[in-house]
Amino acid sequence: MSAATTVVIVPCSGIGKTYGTVSREAAYELVEELRPQDTRLVALARLVLGDAAALDEIASHPAITIDGCKLACATKMVGECGGQVAQSVDVLDAYRRHRSLKPQGIAVLNENGLALARTMAEELAVVVDAQNTASQQEVQHA
Amino acid sequence: MADELEVTVDKFVFRVAADRLYSPEGLWVQAAGDQVRVGLTDFLQQRSGDVAFAELKPAGTSLKAGDELAVIETIKVDISLYAPVTGVIAAVNPALENQPELINLDPYGEGWLVLIDPANWEAEKASLRTPQVYFTLMKGQAEAEVGSA
Repeated sequence: MSAATTVVIVPCSGIGKTYGTVSREAAYELVEELRPQDTRLVALARLVLGDAAALDEIASHPAITIDGCKLACATKMVGECGGQVAQSVDVLDAYRRHRSLKPQGIAVLNENGLALARTMAEELAVVVDAQNTASQQEVQHA
Repeated sequence: MADELEVTVDKFVFRVAADRLYSPEGLWVQAAGDQVRVGLTDFLQQRSGDVAFAELKPAGTSLKAGDELAVIETIKVDISLYAPVTGVIAAVNPALENQPELINLDPYGEGWLVLIDPANWEAEKASLRTPQVYFTLMKGQAEAEVGSA
C-alpha cells in the first residue's frame, strides 16, 4: 500500500435509485469540492469491467466506499478486487442519523437529498484527513 | 426456523414460514401463549425495501382489526400496516428502535413488530390465511409485480 495521501472514493452505481444518487452526489462533493487534492473518484462500473487503471487505483490506495443500499456493491467489489476499504458508509445509515434530511428524487435530488449528500461528504472528509494523517505517520516512522 | 414454503420469481426468492397465519396484506400472526406475535412477511419486506424507520403504536394501545398498527419508512415508500387482529399491544419489539433493519434481515424472527393480547383470537384467526393459501396469494402478487416491472 502506498504511503501517498490519495484516497479512492467508490460510490454506488445504482442508476434510477434515490439512495444511489445520494451516494454519488456525496462522492462528487467530497472529490470535487471538499478534498480535491486528497481524493480520486473511481466508478464502480470500471471495477466490474476489470478496467486495469481502476484496479491499479484500488490496489494502490485506501478506499472509501459509499453504498446506496444494504447490498453494499461498492464495498463488496472493492474487496473482490483486493482493495483495502478504509471506511464504508451507506446512505440509509446516514439518513437514520439525519432523519430531517429525507432524500427524494432520482435524476434530480430534492434539497434534503442534496443536504444529506453534503453532510455525508463532510463526515467522509474527516475520514480522508485521518487517512492522510495515518499515512504521514507511517512515512515518518519508516 | 420452522419449515418454510419458498418460491423463486425472477431473481427473487420469497419465503413463507409454515408455522403461523397471514393477513392478505402481508402480515404474519403467530400464537405465543395467550398472546399473538405480529410481523411482516418476507415478501412484504422485500417489496418495500430497506427499512429506515419503524414507528409502532406503543404498548397499551387498543386496536381493532384494521386499525393502523405501525408506519414503516423504507428507502422506497412509507407504508401503513394495519392490525390483523383486535386486541391490546402488550409489547413492541424494543430492538427495532435501533435496528429497524431486523425487519429485512429476519422478518420471521428477530424482526417481529408487536405482541398483542388478542380480544377475539379464536374467531378472528378464522379470517387469516393459512401458510399455503397465503403462499399462493403471495406468489401471484410477486409474479404480477415482477412481470409488470
